[in-house]
Amino acid sequence: MNKISAVHVEAQHEISLGKTILLCLPMMIITVMMLSHGQVPADPASGIAFGIAFFFINGIFFLMIRTGETDRFRSLLFVTYAACFVISFISHLIEERGSMAISRADMIEGLTPFCHMVIPMTIIPAALTKTIIFPGTIIGGFTSIVSVFVLWIGASLALGRGFCSWACFFGGMDEGFSRIFQKARIKSIDSRFTYLPFAVLLVVVLGAAATLSPVYCEWLCPFKTITEFAEITSVKIFIQTIIFISLFIILVVILPALTKRRTQCSLFCPMGAFQSFTNKINVFEIRVDPDKCIKCKKCMAVCPTLSINEETIARGRTGITCMKCGKCIDACKQKALFYHIKGTPLDGGHREICRRLFLYTAFLFLATMSGGFVQDAIVRIIKLITSGSMI
Amino acid sequence: MRLDGFFLGLSNGVACLATCAPLLVPYLLGEGKGLFRSCLLTGQFLLGRLLGYLLFAMIAWTIGNKVFQEESLRPWIIGTAYVLFSVLLIFYGFLKKTDSSCPTVWKQKSCQRLIAFWPALLPVAAGFATGLSLCPPLLLALTGAAAATSLPAGMIYFFSFFLGTSALFILVPFIGLFSRFPVLQIIGKTAAGIMGFYYLYSGIILLIQGWKGYE
Repeated sequence: MNKISAVHVEAQHEISLGKTILLCLPMMIITVMMLSHGQVPADPASGIAFGIAFFFINGIFFLMIRTGETDRFRSLLFVTYAACFVISFISHLIEERGSMAISRADMIEGLTPFCHMVIPMTIIPAALTKTIIFPGTIIGGFTSIVSVFVLWIGASLALGRGFCSWACFFGGMDEGFSRIFQKARIKSIDSRFTYLPFAVLLVVVLGAAATLSPVYCEWLCPFKTITEFAEITSVKIFIQTIIFISLFIILVVILPALTKRRTQCSLFCPMGAFQSFTNKINVFEIRVDPDKCIKCKKCMAVCPTLSINEETIARGRTGITCMKCGKCIDACKQKALFYHIKGTPLDGGHREICRRLFLYTAFLFLATMSGGFVQDAIVRIIKLITSGSMI
Repeated sequence: MRLDGFFLGLSNGVACLATCAPLLVPYLLGEGKGLFRSCLLTGQFLLGRLLGYLLFAMIAWTIGNKVFQEESLRPWIIGTAYVLFSVLLIFYGFLKKTDSSCPTVWKQKSCQRLIAFWPALLPVAAGFATGLSLCPPLLLALTGAAAATSLPAGMIYFFSFFLGTSALFILVPFIGLFSRFPVLQIIGKTAAGIMGFYYLYSGIILLIQGWKGYE
């Protein structure tokens, strides 16, 4: 550990080993059940994957509790989750269809996995026409519409926009690229750009209502590049393909690397903008202690979503777009920022309890969402090493 | 008043509102005016649509319906209107300054001068462009108007069709109630700009289609 990190860890509240293990025990019990599905692994590869996933996930949680740092360890699991999701999802698609491209026939059959990004676009058409404008299955099959809706409602109630930093597999992509360089090459981003996701949200919601089709998925979603996309059968689909690949390269790869911000999530994603409103109904928030804050603006500099500015600091809280990743809390040497539960006292005595309650909730979501993908990706990597193919 | 035209319009009112809302809602939010001013802006938008419809009626009567029914000609008409309108919309969304206090109007760009000279240009052009969509109900109205015995009768048929399609627009100006949130102005304007790119794309594609059809 380098000198700066060591000082920083000391500045945080480090707790004893015994207490840490005791606090990690509930997470270990839950994850062992969740990862094993109550069964002994069927083959050696699954056993190895189970072991690695269990120790990796619980190791991360142990470090969060022990060191008092949140974001550094969350990020490690979050980025791993995103990478494992890509490996697992693409392998599944190739197994099922033989290609990442989805044909018109498969769409008509309702074989497209439902994605949470579609949720904002489905609401008005569902209210007007009583139909879900997505070529997926309502119940059953791989990621059905009902299962994603239930998961999203649960995550929104539990985490608010924390969903974007603790549950969304796409978020880990630009988070990963945002950590490539030590320093930001582009330091200032005009704050007006933070309204862009809300404008995109407005356009896609109204556009979906007008055309009764998921316009964001058809035209803009950059993540089609690493998941699935429509088979190129016309000029229109060809143009759509150019658009989403360009957006992926610019918003998910280049800009996060240059700015050290999550540019796709904070400057473009309509689902992220939609999710911001759920911060209003969620009990967890990040607050700023004005007595401790020395206005060093370190939190503003590190916030990956530009959710902190002088105005929000003056109000003693983060902006509506806050993803509760904890990066600002880790960066603040004065410990002026902290997790808080709405309606509870703001005094220092409750802060660690609030953080732990948030961590149990958020980490459980991250572990639940990532566990299956991490295990599957490990199994496929073992397959690749032993047989030369992931499929 | 031709009631069949009115009812034809009324039965397609939801579709018309759904077509116009992605354009009109961001524009009204972007303007950030109150309820009464939003009523005026919606009125200007509807005036643009009415002008589009009446133009249809006039051309249909003068040249004949074939000009619109002709597959090869349709993309040229709509494509050109969309491209011209998209330029205005992109300018409005991304380039127009909200502060119009600068007295040196002559120094401003041509689009800015144009909008400063005639503020109603954008809503009227928006209404006109969306009115040109040549959707199935409009083509049906064209057939209905063709049965009219004179030009005024054809225009009255289109006017009653317009009234029918506009009934649901009465809800739209209530967006003006959100004018006290200045943030919505930025969001609305940006969304209008994004819609401009969509119209630009649609216009170019239509022109390419027209050109290929011409070949």
